[in-house]
Amino acid sequence: MTPIRDYMSADHRRCDDLFAAVEQSLTRSGTAAADLFEAFCHATLAHFQAEEELLFPAFEQATGIRMGPTQMMRLEHQQMRTLMDEARAALVSGDEEGYSGAAETLLILMQQHNMKEENVLYPMCDENLAAYQAELMPLLQKATGSERS
Amino acid sequence: MQSLLSFDQAPPLAGPLRFFLTAPAFAAGAGLLLLLLGPGLLASRWTPGALAFTHLLTAGFMLQTMVGALLQILPVATGAGVEHPLGVARAVHGLFTGGLLLLLGGFLSFRPLYFQAAVGLFAAGLLIFLWAAGRALARVPASSPIQWALKLAAAGLAITVLLGLVLASALGFSLPWPLLQITGIHLSWGLVGWGVLLLSGVAYVVVPMFLLTPSFPGWLSRILAPGLFLALALWSGAEAAGLALAPWLGGVLMAGCGVFAGVTLWLLVRSKRARLDATHRYWRLGLGSGLAALTLLALGLLMPSLGGWNGWPLLFGVLILVGGFMSVISGMLYKIVPFLIWLHLQNAGQGQVLAPNMKKIMPESAMGRQMACHAAALALLAAAVLWPEWLARPAGAALLVSSLWLMRNLIGGVQVYRRHLQTIRGQLAASS
Repeated sequence: MTPIRDYMSADHRRCDDLFAAVEQSLTRSGTAAADLFEAFCHATLAHFQAEEELLFPAFEQATGIRMGPTQMMRLEHQQMRTLMDEARAALVSGDEEGYSGAAETLLILMQQHNMKEENVLYPMCDENLAAYQAELMPLLQKATGSERS
Repeated sequence: MQSLLSFDQAPPLAGPLRFFLTAPAFAAGAGLLLLLLGPGLLASRWTPGALAFTHLLTAGFMLQTMVGALLQILPVATGAGVEHPLGVARAVHGLFTGGLLLLLGGFLSFRPLYFQAAVGLFAAGLLIFLWAAGRALARVPASSPIQWALKLAAAGLAITVLLGLVLASALGFSLPWPLLQITGIHLSWGLVGWGVLLLSGVAYVVVPMFLLTPSFPGWLSRILAPGLFLALALWSGAEAAGLALAPWLGGVLMAGCGVFAGVTLWLLVRSKRARLDATHRYWRLGLGSGLAALTLLALGLLMPSLGGWNGWPLLFGVLILVGGFMSVISGMLYKIVPFLIWLHLQNAGQGQVLAPNMKKIMPESAMGRQMACHAAALALLAAAVLWPEWLARPAGAALLVSSLWLMRNLIGGVQVYRRHLQTIRGQLAASS
């Protein structure tokens, strides 16, 4: 049973799909890339928030490890927020090349971040937070905004 | 728990970069060798020039980039980093480079001393690398397909180099061992046991993630690495014993590699990325060439008239090494190197000075043009097998140019790194 890993990994894929939708809209005229980008940012930032305010504190409390991997993940969240701002500014000013450079960097950072979470951190969360899953899972679903079971 | 704490054990930039920056020099060396030796190099796969050319691509370009990438990917994929990454990188890079140069000297001069010295350096490099990577891999359970593939690929590399050491020892010390038979087993372990296994492990991760394709089918990623490893081990035994079963097991191996290449290509066609960047096109070229190489290999085994032609193994080598592995590896370098530079600049800027994004570190146009040059070199090399008198030297020149161009693009990224680091230092000093 790995409910945290399964749910949070699926939420990563949802964010990936929203990211791809922005890129595809840029090749078609008339679709609102800026709106799609905001939808991507909204979902991704909600995911960060769910981790930073719910999952990471619970992990830190259960294991006593506060300056380890969760700290590293928070730092990467911050780096991704900065890249989202850079991409948004380029998109708003119509700088397609600037958007593509910031978005590519964001994608790679996001993916290697996801891989570390999915391969290592989430399985550790499932292991250490088994006793709290009943109360934690609905909170994570609510915070990420997808509320899937 | 211990392995979790190693997220920040990503090696210093100088660790993997030394492998990535010098690897294209070996491919350029292969091009230069063909340019200098001309059509004679392509007379058969056993000419000293062809052996040196092959090892510049395999024990040079491929081995160096794959070792560098493995040092980099271990902490991300498994949560376990290599201890003393910079020291390990320096030692392994130096020993493998020295070993390769001596091996080339051996092939081109056939002086036993060169082979003897090459054995020493390669053996030392392998021991250090396996000790470092083995310790990191041993700390994580092989629970996911990528971790299985990485572990088996490390074992595949060990067997490849050990068989290479056996061959070099036989040449260096005039031992009466069956060289042709051992060479066949050595190259199969290198191409499949190390090359395809490592590539598949990396592909499970990077193809869906960076190129936004559907995931690899679970059944394939679960059985591919253990299945290929087992089939290869059985084939090696059957081949060494001269059993009639050997060609059938060889067929299983080829089918396994073909399924991997075909499925990966099928996934790439379903990518959600709107634009095909240089990395994506390099993957398509690499997998297409790999499938062409496998088809050629199968046809040669079924049709004695083709299998008996001197150019058959040469064309297979060009398609699988330059077309297959070199293409995919170059495409990966174009993602890994700019990202690593961005990451290190971002960390150096401490959140106060922003790093230039990846496409400012390495422009898409430069990568796309180099890729076109590589594709032209591949086409010329394949044609040179058919018409060596006309095309051997132009093909060598094209491989030389495309490899130097790859190196130029990578070094361009490092120059951006150096310039920006100075800006960061200046701005941080001014604000403190």
